[in-house]
Amino acid sequence: MSPTIPFDPRVLRAPHPVPGAPDNWRRFFSFNTDAKVIGIQYIAVSLFFLLVGGLLAMIMRGELLTPPADLVDPTVYNGLYTMHGTVMLFLFLFPVLNGFNNLLIPPMIGAPDMAFPRLNAAAFWLFPVFGVILMLSFLVPGGPSGSGWWAYPPVSTQNPLGHFINGQFLWILAVALSGVSSIMGAVNFCTTIIRMRAPGMGWFRMPIFCWTALAAQAIQLCGLPVLTAGAVMLLFDLSFGTSFFRPEGGGDPMLYQHFFWFYSHPAVYVMVLPIFGVFSEVFPVYARKPLFGYHVVAIASFAITFLSLIVWVHHMFYSGTPQWMRNVFMVTTMLIAVPTGIKVFAWLGTLWRGKLRLTTPMLFCLGGLFNFIFAGITGIMLATVPVDIHVGNTYFVVGHFHTVIFSTITYGVFAAIYHWFPKFTGRMTYEGLGQLHFVLTFLGSQLNFLPMHWAGLMGMPRRVASYDPEFAGANVLASLGAFLLGVATLPFLINIVSSWARGAKAPANPWQAIGLEWLLPSPPPAENFGEHVPVVIAGPYGYGLGRDLVEDQESVVQRSLQEA
Amino acid sequence: MTTLPAPPAADAAANGQHGHGGHNLTGFVLFLCSESLIFLAFFAGYITFKLSSPVWLPPGVEGLELRGPLLYSVVLVSSSLVIVLAERALHQRRLVAFRCWWALTMLMGAVFLYGQASEWLQLPFALGSGVFGGCFYLLTGFHGLHVLTGIVLMALMLWRSFRPGNYDGGEAGVASVALFWHFVDVIWVVLFLLIYVWR
Amino acid sequence: MTGEAPSRPFRPDPAAIVLVAIAVALNVLASVWMSQRVHDWLPVQASSAAPYVDNLFALEAGIGTFIFLGCACVMGWTILFNRAPKYDMDDGAPIEGNLRLEIVWTLVPLVIVMAIAVHAIQVNQVLATLDGKVRVSSGSEALAVAGSAAGEEPVGPIQVIGRQWSWEFIYPEGVHSTELHLPVDRRARLELISMDVLHGFYVPAFRLKQDLVPGSVIAYALTPTREGRYRLRDSMFSGGYFAANQTDVVVESDDAYRAWLKDALRRPLVPAANPATELWRLRRERGDRGWATVPPAPPPLVHVDADPNAPHDA
Repeated sequence: MSPTIPFDPRVLRAPHPVPGAPDNWRRFFSFNTDAKVIGIQYIAVSLFFLLVGGLLAMIMRGELLTPPADLVDPTVYNGLYTMHGTVMLFLFLFPVLNGFNNLLIPPMIGAPDMAFPRLNAAAFWLFPVFGVILMLSFLVPGGPSGSGWWAYPPVSTQNPLGHFINGQFLWILAVALSGVSSIMGAVNFCTTIIRMRAPGMGWFRMPIFCWTALAAQAIQLCGLPVLTAGAVMLLFDLSFGTSFFRPEGGGDPMLYQHFFWFYSHPAVYVMVLPIFGVFSEVFPVYARKPLFGYHVVAIASFAITFLSLIVWVHHMFYSGTPQWMRNVFMVTTMLIAVPTGIKVFAWLGTLWRGKLRLTTPMLFCLGGLFNFIFAGITGIMLATVPVDIHVGNTYFVVGHFHTVIFSTITYGVFAAIYHWFPKFTGRMTYEGLGQLHFVLTFLGSQLNFLPMHWAGLMGMPRRVASYDPEFAGANVLASLGAFLLGVATLPFLINIVSSWARGAKAPANPWQAIGLEWLLPSPPPAENFGEHVPVVIAGPYGYGLGRDLVEDQESVVQRSLQEA
Repeated sequence: MTTLPAPPAADAAANGQHGHGGHNLTGFVLFLCSESLIFLAFFAGYITFKLSSPVWLPPGVEGLELRGPLLYSVVLVSSSLVIVLAERALHQRRLVAFRCWWALTMLMGAVFLYGQASEWLQLPFALGSGVFGGCFYLLTGFHGLHVLTGIVLMALMLWRSFRPGNYDGGEAGVASVALFWHFVDVIWVVLFLLIYVWR
Repeated sequence: MTGEAPSRPFRPDPAAIVLVAIAVALNVLASVWMSQRVHDWLPVQASSAAPYVDNLFALEAGIGTFIFLGCACVMGWTILFNRAPKYDMDDGAPIEGNLRLEIVWTLVPLVIVMAIAVHAIQVNQVLATLDGKVRVSSGSEALAVAGSAAGEEPVGPIQVIGRQWSWEFIYPEGVHSTELHLPVDRRARLELISMDVLHGFYVPAFRLKQDLVPGSVIAYALTPTREGRYRLRDSMFSGGYFAANQTDVVVESDDAYRAWLKDALRRPLVPAANPATELWRLRRERGDRGWATVPPAPPPLVHVDADPNAPHDA
């Protein structure tokens, strides 16, 4: 299980750094068009915002330790939870996943870079811009937006102080810019995957991560424009006196909800699909087995994409939606369980009779899968109209959502960081600190999110700054869990920073993994394979099948040595 | 080296994996698909409002004048034919003819924008006049912005056509802009039917 | 899932079959136990909808437990018994898939979720809480529409009015109250109106929730089945003092309900006490710190005011 056991002794000796590639810290602060630099830029900035969002969450949980609103004013609590949601989704999860897309897609398909490197860099540099805009909204008079990350009108268009520049205005601006950046990214990722695959890499020889990235980015292309349309109308209502969502002028606040959820439910799949990809990459490596049912898993990604676009009304079951619509959207929502179930069972099949190595990435994937099965079951409950009528808009939803967003997706993010860290930094992480990080995170997330389900079943509405005393028990547990999660971040940060600074040099393929990216030196040179793109002759995940991935694998390995 | 069936490795190097020109059209088509969904969303919103709003036209407004907008619409839609002529001229490497047709397309776009602006100035209602006023200005304004973008992109292409050897690497830029222009025209036809014709 | 473990490509030995059978049996027992436990996590059942919702939830909890434990068992088994020993660099069994198994685990979940969906649609039809809505353009128009609704049943239609941040209930008999009184075992009709932003009419003990949408009058119907005092909470975020926007529903016998109506009409109309107004006043006194919010709407004038400190059953 020790990662230093050589897979191919010659690859192990590949030293660092790579000739020709600019290798200094300055490139990370420049308009660099190298996808690997951009990927690391995305991940680093988004991890900073993970800390910001986590801090906001801990203040919220501090407020919720006791029933009355005593730590902060209720209006401040509203701003905090709005910003927590916005920061975590738009400034942490979307960017961090774009970071993985940048790092992983070109090497995995044998491309030298993205299809549009300058567009790629421009999309990244929008990220700090809208990040700063959103942070600035803490400083404007009246504070940041306090209408929730849904920004439902009429609350979001009330504008109590009457200023033109207000928290909600900056919020819409930041979200719209984030949308522009995401569209730029989506066009880039899709074009790259469609047009730049290595010779021989047909669709069904592509790693699952690329399948899921393509499926997720297709959702971005279909859904984001609709959110943008809704956001533009909201901005006009807020700032220019229109009445799209005001009943006084004939508008309808329900229309905004349709626009919002048409994107924002699929948005969850934008985030979870790449993590399904991470699971599908990581399980075979550490179970030493081919991915179970590769074809079906690949196709299931697009089944999820399609279904995710026709389920949005399940967020509006209690909004006055007609009965027939409730029934239709309940059925479509239930159907999503099928492709998702296929993936879950395929991962279990991959584990079965494997040779499991419980390294940090594997632990995070196992934990993420465990939590995801739980979240899938509560998801089915939420899809059922009569049950949703009771638990919708309560802490049950908060618990379910965080089990997906944190306990599955963010686990997957951590797994991906630990798994590919050696490849892209050229350094190994410390295994012990990684496992400590996992144990603390696992305990903290169960303690944080499980009691929320209970509070929700008992009828505690979400988004409240104060609550009736009967919910105190669940909330104390949840708050303790949240603080534990805060503590769990420390070993992670220490691990990442010190490993990059002084970790052991990483060999090209420390995990004996199969995939084009592992045929490159660690870290890969600027143009990946450059002129010598290998010809792919087999599907991915050939563990134990005794076959080569690419034509003339020996010489590809040799070349990566010579380059070093 | 791009899609199946996979060419041999030698071809891959010859095709030049570093040349990104071939991807431009793919990327642009993806972008247009995405962009069309914004309009689709606006149209869906418009239809919902029109069918369900308890108040629709602002007080004192009977409806929209049809004749002027129809005239300008014909100009805009026929510019789609002109841009096809421009593309064909470029295909045959008749650069002067290309530039003439291309400039004519730009002119027709500008005429449409002028018509739009003069209509806006004469209307008896404003952006804040109920949901109808909002929808009208938002939809026509957003579309007008696209027309303007199209004209700017065409000007860029026109300027580039004077660079020697500009089309050695293909005509993806011109093809993309032409595609954008057709897109803008199709959107206008739908928009015109929804806003002006549907009473 | 544990049940499907033996259908892997090699011949299962009898010991494995016995083991899996025991695991499945234990799993079934655990699932049944779990589906019976759900009532402990839910508030008391106080409406005709509650048993249906709870039973559906119990059914899902049972099926969910079975699936969850089944998957967890497989994970646990592999972690315990399929671990690579230290320095063992071998690969696992090179199984690439199993078509039969993949078809099974596509079809079985499909059948399960569709069965749940059909069952839930039937429950929806039985409950039939939502009666339709009328679009209006202002609060006063909403009041006019709601007031004109004819009641062929004795209870209601009661106008439920949501404001930032107070509840008001107007009875056809003319009673204004901040506390909702309903007779037990009689279907009550409600007309939900919001005067400003979205609110949510949510009574956990009833297992019912319906948003109040500005610009719409939403007809709603429910039948309370248990006497008691239950919390009514605003479930849709409505701005600044959203959390304080709660009151009580009092379900009482028909006689008590009539007596209450009669008594209420004799009382004078007074401004209701309002926790949001109180919080707003405190904030002003302390220097108006905090982030922007609209001030609370003036409290409604009512005959009967809710007692915020009365103990509630759920």
